[in-house]
Amino acid sequence: MRRPPKPGHSNGNGDAPAALENGDAPSPVTDNPGKRLTTGAKDAPADLVGWVDERMGATSFLTAMLMRKVPKGTNWFYTLGSATLFAFVVQAITGVFLAMYYTPSPVEAYASITHLTNDVFLGEFVRGMHKWGASVMVILVFVHMARTFFFGAYKYPRELNWVIGVVLLILTMVMGFTGYLLPFDQRSYWATIVGVNINGTGPIVGPYLSDFLRAGPEFGATTLSRFYAIHMLLVPGAIIAMIGAHLYLVVKMGTTAPPWMRADLKPKDARREPVEAIADGSANGASENGNAS
Amino acid sequence: MKPVGYFEGESMTRRRVFTLAGGALGGLAGAGIILPALGFAVAPIFDQPEEDWQPVGPLDDFVPETYVPRVITIVQGIGEAGKTTVYVRRGSTDLGEDPDSYVAISTRCAHLGCPVRFVQAAGNFICPCHGGVYGFQGEVIGGPPVRPLDRFQTRVTDDLVEIGPRYSVTSQLEPVRARDPGEFTGGVWEYLYPPRPSTAAPPSS
Amino acid sequence: MNNREKEQYLREYEVMKKKGKPFFPYAVMKDSVMACVVVGVIIFMSLYLGAEQGPKADPTTTTYVPRPEWYFFFLFELLRVIKPPELVPIATIGVPTIAMVLLLLLPFYDRNPERNPLKRPIASIAGIMTIIAMAFLTFLGANAGSPTDIEIDVAPEYEAGKLVAAQSGCLACHQFGENGNNGPGPKLTEIGARLNPAAIARSLEIGPGIMPSYATMAEDEPEKFRDLVAFLASLNGEEEASTGEVGVAGSGSVESSGGNPAVVEPDAGSSADGAGATTDSGATP
Repeated sequence: MRRPPKPGHSNGNGDAPAALENGDAPSPVTDNPGKRLTTGAKDAPADLVGWVDERMGATSFLTAMLMRKVPKGTNWFYTLGSATLFAFVVQAITGVFLAMYYTPSPVEAYASITHLTNDVFLGEFVRGMHKWGASVMVILVFVHMARTFFFGAYKYPRELNWVIGVVLLILTMVMGFTGYLLPFDQRSYWATIVGVNINGTGPIVGPYLSDFLRAGPEFGATTLSRFYAIHMLLVPGAIIAMIGAHLYLVVKMGTTAPPWMRADLKPKDARREPVEAIADGSANGASENGNAS
Repeated sequence: MKPVGYFEGESMTRRRVFTLAGGALGGLAGAGIILPALGFAVAPIFDQPEEDWQPVGPLDDFVPETYVPRVITIVQGIGEAGKTTVYVRRGSTDLGEDPDSYVAISTRCAHLGCPVRFVQAAGNFICPCHGGVYGFQGEVIGGPPVRPLDRFQTRVTDDLVEIGPRYSVTSQLEPVRARDPGEFTGGVWEYLYPPRPSTAAPPSS
Repeated sequence: MNNREKEQYLREYEVMKKKGKPFFPYAVMKDSVMACVVVGVIIFMSLYLGAEQGPKADPTTTTYVPRPEWYFFFLFELLRVIKPPELVPIATIGVPTIAMVLLLLLPFYDRNPERNPLKRPIASIAGIMTIIAMAFLTFLGANAGSPTDIEIDVAPEYEAGKLVAAQSGCLACHQFGENGNNGPGPKLTEIGARLNPAAIARSLEIGPGIMPSYATMAEDEPEKFRDLVAFLASLNGEEEASTGEVGVAGSGSVESSGGNPAVVEPDAGSSADGAGATTDSGATP
């Protein structure tokens, strides 16, 4: 039985090393290390890159990722995803340095931010980058999502990547919400009160959820450190894991072509349509991963 | 049909034992981490509150016709962040209240917790966020709030008015356990928004 | 999508991919340009807008007007416009949850194999409508005035009355321009064009319907009360209220009870049509 080609199985690169998941792709470097050693060991590695690659065998992975082909017609709209990733990196880096000066206690938080903003060299600049970087990231997430929606890029075979993207959107909003309380000014405080109470309006579990978020029935001594831990440990960890999965799927499935571009399939191809597969109707083509062959 | 990963001479019983044992032990190790951590994070939900009474002034400070703002501490040890404002007045016979009682109204809007303000000229409490308006007794007269303003228990000790734990009221102003803003009180809502163990018992009316 | 459509897509994609260029360095170059733009914008915003600290958190305040960060304005406005208390859980939990579930499951209910936005009008229109709705709510939320401040421009002699109105809780139930709540009371942006000063004074003293009476203010602080009436009477829906004549009449006739009871509460039945009230400002004093 002839099956439809597996999504992501071929990266359209002709004889370049095959897709990511095939560790057994024919590659002069990784395929048979023992053989290489017998021939190559007598020479000291020529350079650092060669030395690392001899031990990591990352070349095939990097070639598959970087040299994969991007369909003709991809335009500036296709940079929105990487721009969002870059905004996240800005947030991560500036966040690490802000954490060096910040004290997550309701008594000292405001003063530590004042100190950070006014006394520390470049303090206001770095805090400004984190503050406005958050807005930029939220905008980019939404624009990236709108692009995916209007280009129909969430359709087969990329459904799962859309779901992961929506989870990333939610996590980004959670970052926005938990980050808000940390400066501990009026806006932070009252927005957090309202936000926690919004969670509390969920029937039955809502009241317990807001107790959990506040660590008690009122805004208390550990509420701020709870938000701090969520903001800088829990959610960023989840976001990094999700971005990893998101990018893996992008590389595996390939970047979409613009929806207005159509390929002219040769009549010969059209004739070769597998009639059995249609009659059979089973979705085995979609459910198998790319390992078979 | 051989399973994926089958090798020559493999015993299926042995494979099954290893699969189950590996899963069970891994799950046990995972539970050993997750459960204590989760309990640690969730524990504050079950903390019992300590009853705390604070004097806010002599009896003569308060009249039945209007409210006087007073600042009390509801969470100890976190300075300014643990304080809140309450509006206090003496019971009004015109409204059918005991003239020797004292009414202390919370400034947290019952919609989503914004700071309400008593406006003398109108005799109303006004919320600046989403447009909630409350009457003189804290009853809802406009906007989205789901119940009247919360109150604090009051008592008189040595000619001083003292403020105790917070409680919520139904639309008939009957006391119930303190709820968070946005949660309905009374009737079937008492089950949909259950009282939490971390709140004090309401006063018996 | 059935199997045939799936295969068709994959084959077509394969062909288009073969015609494309490698990711490195062609797409990478574009991504790097975009990264420069992003970091440039962030640096510019940080330098230009700064990171000023607001006043310290004060849980005892009764005068602060909380407003969220701009990207939560749509939710904030949703909470403001959904007035009936029974619908509060729908605004807080219901709508966001439904929106997220719809978004999450999009590829599973949109089974149309077509990808071109012009050839799937329903999806495209739904997407555009969602964006417009979010933008509109965000705009309304951003412009939501505070209920303790009136931002209408008035002639200097009415500034005192404006202050009285702002501090007396009128904004809890009435809208003045962009400030205040739309309901339960009618919009007052052009009250002066509908009621004469005597009728306004009478309404304030009586407190029609659920409106509280301001009679105590008229007795205890007649100065303030006169200013308030003069300010209200000067509101005719135009930015720069006409001066002189109305103000004199207002302060002169406060004590007269000339108001026709029928016009004391002209808008009682239509307190919810604040949006309409802005457009029908054809009446001039």
